[in-house]
Amino acid sequence: MGKESNLKMELQGGSDDFKKAVSRRTKKPLSLSTASQPQPKEGVNVGAEKGNTKGTVAGSSSDAYEVVYVKDNVSVHPTQYASERISGRLRLIKQGSSLFMTWIPYNRARFTEENTEFATPSNGSMRTMAGKSLAGKPFDKADRNLYTIRAVSLSEMRSIRRHTPPLGWQYVIIVLTNGLAFPPLYFHNGGVREFLATLKEHALLVRSADDANVYLINDTQDPLQKSLTSLELTEVVPVSASATQKRKEESRPLIPDSEESGSGEAHPNQIGQTESPPRKPRDATHDFSINVLEKFSMVTKFARDTTAHLMGSLENLGAEQSHRTRYQKENFDLSMDTLPSNVEESLQGAPSTSIACDDSLQKHGGEGKFSDGLASTNVGTFELVDGAQVYSSSTSSLSFGVIDNSMPLPNDSPALVWGRARPPPLGSEEWATFLDADGRVVDFKALKKRIFYGGIEPSLRREVWKFLLEHYQFDSTYKERKGLTTQKKEAYITLKAQWQTISDDQAKRFAKFRERKSRVEKDVVRTDRSLPFYADDENPNITLLRDILITYSFYNFDLGYCQGMSDLLSPILYVMKDEAESFWCFAALMERLAPNFHRDQNGMHSQLQALLKLVQLLDTPLHDYFKQADCLNYFFCFRWILIQFKREFDYDNVMRLWEVLWTHHLSEHFHMYMCVAILKRYRRKIMDEQMEFDTLLKFINELSGHIDLESTLRDAEALCLFAGERGAACIPAGTPPAIATFENKGIELYQDSESTSY
Amino acid sequence: MATTGTNHLQAKLVLLGDMGAGKSSLVLRFVKGQFFEYQESTIGAAFLTQTVAVNDATVKFEIWDTAGQERYHSLAPMYYRGAAAAIIVYDISNLDSFARAKKWVQELLQQGNANLVMALAGNKADLSSKRKVETEEGKAYADENQLFFMETSAKTAQNVNELFYEIARKLPKAQPAQQPAGMVLTDRPTGDRFAIKSTCCA
Ligand SMILES: Nc1nc2c(ncn2[C@@H]2O[C@H](COP(=O)(O)OP(=O)(O)OP(=O)(O)O)[C@@H](O)[C@H]2O)c(=O)[nH]1
Ligand SMILES: [Mg+2]
Repeated sequence: MGKESNLKMELQGGSDDFKKAVSRRTKKPLSLSTASQPQPKEGVNVGAEKGNTKGTVAGSSSDAYEVVYVKDNVSVHPTQYASERISGRLRLIKQGSSLFMTWIPYNRARFTEENTEFATPSNGSMRTMAGKSLAGKPFDKADRNLYTIRAVSLSEMRSIRRHTPPLGWQYVIIVLTNGLAFPPLYFHNGGVREFLATLKEHALLVRSADDANVYLINDTQDPLQKSLTSLELTEVVPVSASATQKRKEESRPLIPDSEESGSGEAHPNQIGQTESPPRKPRDATHDFSINVLEKFSMVTKFARDTTAHLMGSLENLGAEQSHRTRYQKENFDLSMDTLPSNVEESLQGAPSTSIACDDSLQKHGGEGKFSDGLASTNVGTFELVDGAQVYSSSTSSLSFGVIDNSMPLPNDSPALVWGRARPPPLGSEEWATFLDADGRVVDFKALKKRIFYGGIEPSLRREVWKFLLEHYQFDSTYKERKGLTTQKKEAYITLKAQWQTISDDQAKRFAKFRERKSRVEKDVVRTDRSLPFYADDENPNITLLRDILITYSFYNFDLGYCQGMSDLLSPILYVMKDEAESFWCFAALMERLAPNFHRDQNGMHSQLQALLKLVQLLDTPLHDYFKQADCLNYFFCFRWILIQFKREFDYDNVMRLWEVLWTHHLSEHFHMYMCVAILKRYRRKIMDEQMEFDTLLKFINELSGHIDLESTLRDAEALCLFAGERGAACIPAGTPPAIATFENKGIELYQDSESTSY
Repeated sequence: MATTGTNHLQAKLVLLGDMGAGKSSLVLRFVKGQFFEYQESTIGAAFLTQTVAVNDATVKFEIWDTAGQERYHSLAPMYYRGAAAAIIVYDISNLDSFARAKKWVQELLQQGNANLVMALAGNKADLSSKRKVETEEGKAYADENQLFFMETSAKTAQNVNELFYEIARKLPKAQPAQQPAGMVLTDRPTGDRFAIKSTCCA
């Protein structure tokens, strides 16, 4: 709690600067190009790069840059979906004594070797892409841009963590001196070792004494270390502590990665490789350093701003040097909008104009302030997980202050500084912009994304939830929806009549009906009664809950009524305030969640099993702990999953969470990452207190009402992104809430032997 | 506070019974002395502890409160495995709940743990005007199966502490060697984590 308030103060302190920065920026058009720059011509020399080998000397003058390393098919995995990976080209560029790294996403759809052609290097022309558009949707331009690393100097890098699993893709996480980090860069064609070797040629690169997978760059006494040690985070200190140690010792040689041989042949499309990612056993230190990286994982926008600043200063320094100008254009993609389209295409970068991306970040877009100069390369605008605000600092020390405050977390939060600042909920004005004249949702993906990040204003839920639950089709018109509502209302009345017309006499001979009715009646009178909406005896809303649930047990007679359903219906009725609409929305939700209630418990088992695998992937020490404590059945998370955290948060937050989950943005199993995020947050307490199944279950049950939703959502997002494809591989197809096909399921899934026969 | 050695016993106790019979309410009354008219249904299971003193010994109950619906029946063995005691609860105002209680009794008897202390609790005794199961019926069934029987009310607290106390009294004699596998009793040092009740009731 001390943390929270400190943080708020920091944020307050920074907010004015931030506002100024934003307003200053928004006055200018969002183009980084400067009109005075000469238009580069085709054939501009960007270095004759040869595929995946080290680059060759380019440019003619002595202070020209040299591309010393280039690697294609290096990807960012913003989501777990393979189709949303952003592939790009990683380069190391030497200029004078400085080394820069860039990662520019390809312009077109994902890039594979099959459809790539290279222009002959002899004429000095640029590499061209025969960019056949591939199957699958190219990632949003704006999103691609969001992840672009335009130029980051090696002097800004703190460390690199490499992951070179024997199977699956290698990736690196680059942590900057300010403590933030880029998202993992996946080397689809292998080559991490080569990358590190190249870096080593140009910079002081040593292995961390504590973790052989962490390389420290240009290690000097720096504020990051100070902040780490002052926090008494003994588990994480080794990463930076080793930094100082190492200075005394001889630098250790860069030991080649044995597992890397042959990986260069790995085909980028061999997704199957990730199906079974066998993992090297990892010790605690190892994983804690991952935590450090996670703690400092950065918002990509920060990188963009940083590089924009950097480039601004470069421009000032060398504006008259045309090759340098070209260098900026070609490698840093600063002024694509001024380039001829063929050049633009060949650069495979996204135009900087689309820095104005389609989400909240656009407001704080990455337009560099050119005059800030080199001194301000640490300036950045970045979001803090715990701050729930956008924070801007003008000195690096301030940003370290923020990190300081975000770290000593009372509840052992992983404090992932990765997620985006959450914009305010979707309001009706903005909602209208998503609809065309006839009322169709034009871009439902964008809508889902918007809701994923910001939620929906309460008054708008009634309408939008129907879309999220797929009761309404996104491409339906106002008129169609009106028709549907009328028609569904009638259908509901018919369904309800099925049981309402059962006479007492008939009921006597209808045990199943009596049972269901009585079970529903037992539950509705103890569902959310503390809320005014359901308070008081004889509350008509309780009757509505009852009628809807009994009707549902006739509509889905095989499934019937199960405990937990009243929890799922309650917020829906509260939002819809209409019996028939609530019924259909509930039925739509049950299309996703019905397997949770199957008699054989398979739906639950598959989710708990997936959770096991995710924890194993994302927090190995915790997994190991659960294993030795004999807790691997994960039944302590049963309630979380069965009713979508309904009992874990207050009512408002439940609604807030549900609409996020229902978007299925990032992952349709986002709730699993929520589970991991919460467990990770309390991992230390769980392990320190050596909780066993019983005490663990008690602890987890008692967390109810004490979990902070906002930060958990963000942690879950970060974990989901971080886990990427490997995370998705933990969750088998068909795991709820995937819409199940009921046809082939035997009746035994549903049958309640509760039919008492007397 | 904490008793030592042989005088301290930990006993895993599980509550089984139809949904709404009042399992959670009985536990809540026993452990916290509270009662909620609108006690939520139990999803999954809940775990609570409470310690009672019997003569010169204390018994720390490690209580598993399960979800009542038959649908979740398949999870129950996980919770009653290794239990030293079980309370099977029914609602005296609900015939079905009595039938369900009988099924639970049969299931537990079939587990073949002769040392299991079983109690049958006819709960909601305060609802005498709505009574559907006569006291004699419950008593007769309990006797038939050698169970300990009590009518209780979580609402009025009638016989609640008595029920647990009686189980505790029966335990030391019946207490078997440690149960195998699953959620076994553990020899954790007696905790100060939980309030220890020095005595229970007269
Ligand atoms: N009048 C009366 N009501 C009771 C008594 N015990 C419980 N109740 C009420 O009965 C309802 C169900 O009680 P619970 O304790 O939740 O029942 P349960 O057996 O735990 O139910 P599940 O968790 O669904 O298996 C609640 O509304 C309680 O308030 C009692 O002794 N007398
Ligand atoms: Mg209960």
